[in-house]
Amino acid sequence: MIRKKSWFPVLYMFCVTALFSSIVIGFSRLTGERVEANQMLAFEKAVLSVLPGLYEEKLSRLEMHNRFVESVSEPDASSGEAYTLKEGGTIIAYAVPISGRGFWAPIRGVIGIKANGRTITGIAFYEQNETPGLGAEITRDTFRNQFRGKEISDSGEPINIRGPGATLGKSDVHAVTGATQTSSRVEKIINTALKKWRTEVAKNLRTGE
Amino acid sequence: MNGGKTTGRKLIVEGLWHNNPVFKQVLGICSTLAVTNLVLNTVVMCVALMFTVSLSACTVSILRSFTPRNIRMMVETLIIGFYVIIVDVLLKAYWPEMSGNLGPYVGLIITNCIVMGRCEAYGNLNPPGRALLDGFFNALGYSFVLLIIATFRELLGMGTILGISMPYFGGPHWDKWIIMVMPPGAFFMLGIVVWVLRSIELRREREKK
Repeated sequence: MIRKKSWFPVLYMFCVTALFSSIVIGFSRLTGERVEANQMLAFEKAVLSVLPGLYEEKLSRLEMHNRFVESVSEPDASSGEAYTLKEGGTIIAYAVPISGRGFWAPIRGVIGIKANGRTITGIAFYEQNETPGLGAEITRDTFRNQFRGKEISDSGEPINIRGPGATLGKSDVHAVTGATQTSSRVEKIINTALKKWRTEVAKNLRTGE
Repeated sequence: MNGGKTTGRKLIVEGLWHNNPVFKQVLGICSTLAVTNLVLNTVVMCVALMFTVSLSACTVSILRSFTPRNIRMMVETLIIGFYVIIVDVLLKAYWPEMSGNLGPYVGLIITNCIVMGRCEAYGNLNPPGRALLDGFFNALGYSFVLLIIATFRELLGMGTILGISMPYFGGPHWDKWIIMVMPPGAFFMLGIVVWVLRSIELRREREKK
């Protein structure tokens, strides 16, 4: 009887592992492209949603991708490594990528800014793992819409996230209730990225002249 | 075939009540605490668990006459891992937002003791059909306890159920108990739910006598 042999368990384990692994490998090969496309699409969707007049809720995945390819220009040194929306060769808006440490895991997002370099057109996060129902509320419209039309301040921090109930200036927004950690980290992420972007754009303007 | 029918009913009652994985066997508590802060996350987690437990137990049962006893746990872990990866890949490919919400918890189903428990205690000794049923109803028993917890946590903590604002709780008169959607809220709710369900069970047993 083969089952009585001392090496049978080893052979058995080997065969079972080989069988199940090959199914898993085949399966993840099949879906691999789609998983990658999802990640790319999440980024493109975020960029479209922060630039003015591009994003529509009803767009299909393919339409969304096509619109991104058609309308958004790739980042270069003159835009301070920001994606740009151009009309007839002149820049109407920038989409500045932002990223940093969240409360649990990295947060990545995009912030949209008008050509004047001051007015915010929108903000979106495409990667975050904050506490569901608390920190994760940063991806909700109620938090994001606050940014639209805010001005980046010249003195002090570019944007301030204030406690709930505080009166707001033109570069202030309200924090997410109960998510102090996430809010202060997001504030830091936004401000670091904005300061860096502003100095780079300014540098390029000067050398360009 | 009369016997088959009664075992079927017995499996249902055992899985859902008399041998409920959460409040009787007290297994799988870690995931109970982690994913119950929003009802939608909980539902997806429960569906994933039902899929894993029933199919793992069934597969273990199919292989039970070939598997050498001394390596059966390795084989069980392999089978469980196989199904969990399938769920994880499916979520990543077709529901990336939910995959992001649940974060590492889908992968952690592998370590959910209910799955291993059912494979060891039932799948190993019974025919595939019954193992499938047993796994399914144990997962259902887990799910209903989790849903009770999740409903209370989301309602008290966020004023919503499935993201829809509830009358009174969503209004200005209800001061949201933020702690309910944070980890400590899960401990309180789990404790209360186990207490209530066990008291009901105890009273019924006494009445029987």
